[in-house]
Amino acid sequence: MGNELGKYTNCVSARSTDKEILKKAQDGGIVTQLFAFALDAGIIDGAIVAGPGDEPWRPRPIVATTREELLAARGTRYNISPNVSLIKEATRSYGLDKVGIVGTPCQMQAIRKGQLYPVGLRDVPDKIALAIGIFCMENFPYQSIVQLVEDHAGQKLESVKKMEIGKGKFWVYTERGAVVQLPLKVTHKYEQPGCHVCLDYVANLADVSTGSVGSPDGWSTVFVRSKSGEDVWSKAIAAGCFETKPIDQVKPGLELVTKLANEKISKNQKTVEERMKFGVGKGLRNPYIKP
Amino acid sequence: MSKVVEISPTTRHEGHSKLVLKVNDEGIVERGDWLSITPVRGIEKLAINKTMDQVPKIASRVCGICPIAHTLAGIEAMEASIRCEIPRDAYLLRVVLQCANRLHSIALHNILTLPDMYIPGTDTKINPFTPEEPVRSVAKRIQRIREIGQTVGEIAGGECIHPSNPRVGGLYKACSERAKNKMYDLAKEGLILAREQEDFMIAVLRNYQNRDWSEVGGKQIPIPKTLGYHNQGYMAVHPVYGSSSLDPCPTWDPERWTDVRPWDWYMGEVEVNLAEPNYPIGGTSPVGTKANPQMEACTGVPLYDGQPVEVGPRARLVKFRNYDEKGTIGQQVARQLEYTDSVYAMINALDEYNPAGKVLADKIPQGEGELGFAANEAPRGTDVHLAKVKDGRVLYYEMLVPTTWNFPTCSRALTGAPWQLAEVVVRGYDPCVSCATHMIVIDEDARVVAQKLIQ
Repeated sequence: MGNELGKYTNCVSARSTDKEILKKAQDGGIVTQLFAFALDAGIIDGAIVAGPGDEPWRPRPIVATTREELLAARGTRYNISPNVSLIKEATRSYGLDKVGIVGTPCQMQAIRKGQLYPVGLRDVPDKIALAIGIFCMENFPYQSIVQLVEDHAGQKLESVKKMEIGKGKFWVYTERGAVVQLPLKVTHKYEQPGCHVCLDYVANLADVSTGSVGSPDGWSTVFVRSKSGEDVWSKAIAAGCFETKPIDQVKPGLELVTKLANEKISKNQKTVEERMKFGVGKGLRNPYIKP
Repeated sequence: MSKVVEISPTTRHEGHSKLVLKVNDEGIVERGDWLSITPVRGIEKLAINKTMDQVPKIASRVCGICPIAHTLAGIEAMEASIRCEIPRDAYLLRVVLQCANRLHSIALHNILTLPDMYIPGTDTKINPFTPEEPVRSVAKRIQRIREIGQTVGEIAGGECIHPSNPRVGGLYKACSERAKNKMYDLAKEGLILAREQEDFMIAVLRNYQNRDWSEVGGKQIPIPKTLGYHNQGYMAVHPVYGSSSLDPCPTWDPERWTDVRPWDWYMGEVEVNLAEPNYPIGGTSPVGTKANPQMEACTGVPLYDGQPVEVGPRARLVKFRNYDEKGTIGQQVARQLEYTDSVYAMINALDEYNPAGKVLADKIPQGEGELGFAANEAPRGTDVHLAKVKDGRVLYYEMLVPTTWNFPTCSRALTGAPWQLAEVVVRGYDPCVSCATHMIVIDEDARVVAQKLIQ
């Protein structure tokens, strides 16, 4: 395929040098650390992140303007946090001029589309200062997570310490030390159907995109993609925020990222093609092809 | 023998309107009819049976220049009908929003009115779009003032055009401390610019007042000292914000308001027999054109105490500041004086505003069909909305917008002016015509306005 990882100027394996961030981070604490640095350096006034919600493991988008708020949003919760829904409000009643936002590849697409066609987003496009994308194979609705953890894994959601997808399994770690692994075969039917038409694995449209795949445990793979991404990343490195290793010197490396990206794209391409044919000639038509 | 001249459409204001003028042999207006020919919006009819939350948002859509005034008046009419008091901090943010709207609107009107005026000490009219100084820096200042107004509106209101944040019962969102500081900083910057702009505009307006003639369509037209004088009264409810039937002593009274239909007010069919092809832009209507103001006017004629009244900046200053200058220039000067007033009011409201405060009423009643009204002091004058809400649904809705009040008043102010300067008088009112339109044409061919929408 060749372009499955999108355009990038730099790719490294990295982790934060801040012990406090790493304590509860999913992998290398890249997003939290980069936002914390950008906030300190005045590159952003605040960031839209997935903060703690009303129910356990349910994220709620928040506008974080302090390090404490950022720290509260560490870690991955495998269900939807509608971060883009706050993008306008951040520039309004929160009074931000330089907004940071983290999101999945589809959310990055929404951000960039909004910047190109700012319908309902007056005076927002020029205020998006840093968009960090995260690798994403697919996402789950909150109900799916409840079902997977409470029913399949048999754990109370409140006692879960960490969830993770890796090595072909869905992992649930609890406060009292239990570790449950579910084969991904079980989780597939709980995925959002909408995710199955997505052809982007590594957030091609972000300024900086990151995820665990390709790097050793506790580290993250980082793609630096845009000029503004390059700018904030090099400043963060200069400030000693991250330890880095060249990506070709770590295992499993870019090879695995490429493999998974290819898998996602070719699998979803099939769904796209199926949907193009769905009902065509039986009362429906393909809206993208003139009859 | 009087002649009839028609200027259609009039230019450099919002909406579509025209002037039908009976003039004497010297070209002085004996009777002027200024009327709206903007298509009707029909908001009053659309509102019936919608929820009280929807209607102010729909009402705001009549116009993009003072949507804030319509939103606030609409919402407060609902609140007045259901008897809902809003928290103090919500009120303060609404005041900020109101002032932001006024600031941007005055600046916008400067752009529309400057081409009538002269650079002091010269016979050169001002083109606000020229790249040459001194006009360039004035234009930039105007745009910055507008930007400040719009940005503050965006923060306090969620959106500067058709604000999303205000709602029945208060506001959806409070502004954060940071947002408050940002608005404060913008207001401080705006204050300096507003003062400079106010001084500049007043100098330019006084210069026009002292001139003997103004050039229109290649001719030197004498400027009368009484340009735009009228003997009608003034109506204003508050120096900055507004009044509603929830107030202990409302400053507007629905009992004093009556409505006259245009066919009882405007002149009947006339034929144009004076034309001036060199009149800007594109000349006046050709000789032989038929005009029928009483059938073409799309507005009702609201009267207060049985008389047309003037609303707007001068009305506010007359009522609350003992201002007494008549005529078009007096009106324009009054508008400029509101520049700094609106910024100071914004700063005072922000000073008092507490970001941690509540902005939504604890309980929002659903209404029992009682008549409530809110009169909001929009940039162009008193914008009165009346509503009856029962069980959360709107039973009755009526908008009496500023320019509707001003149409008949301004028509009287045209008398005694050279017809070539009639548009200068009209622009003095900063007309915003589209929201003023209330009638519908039911027979296009006969061009008959025959059905009043509300009722």
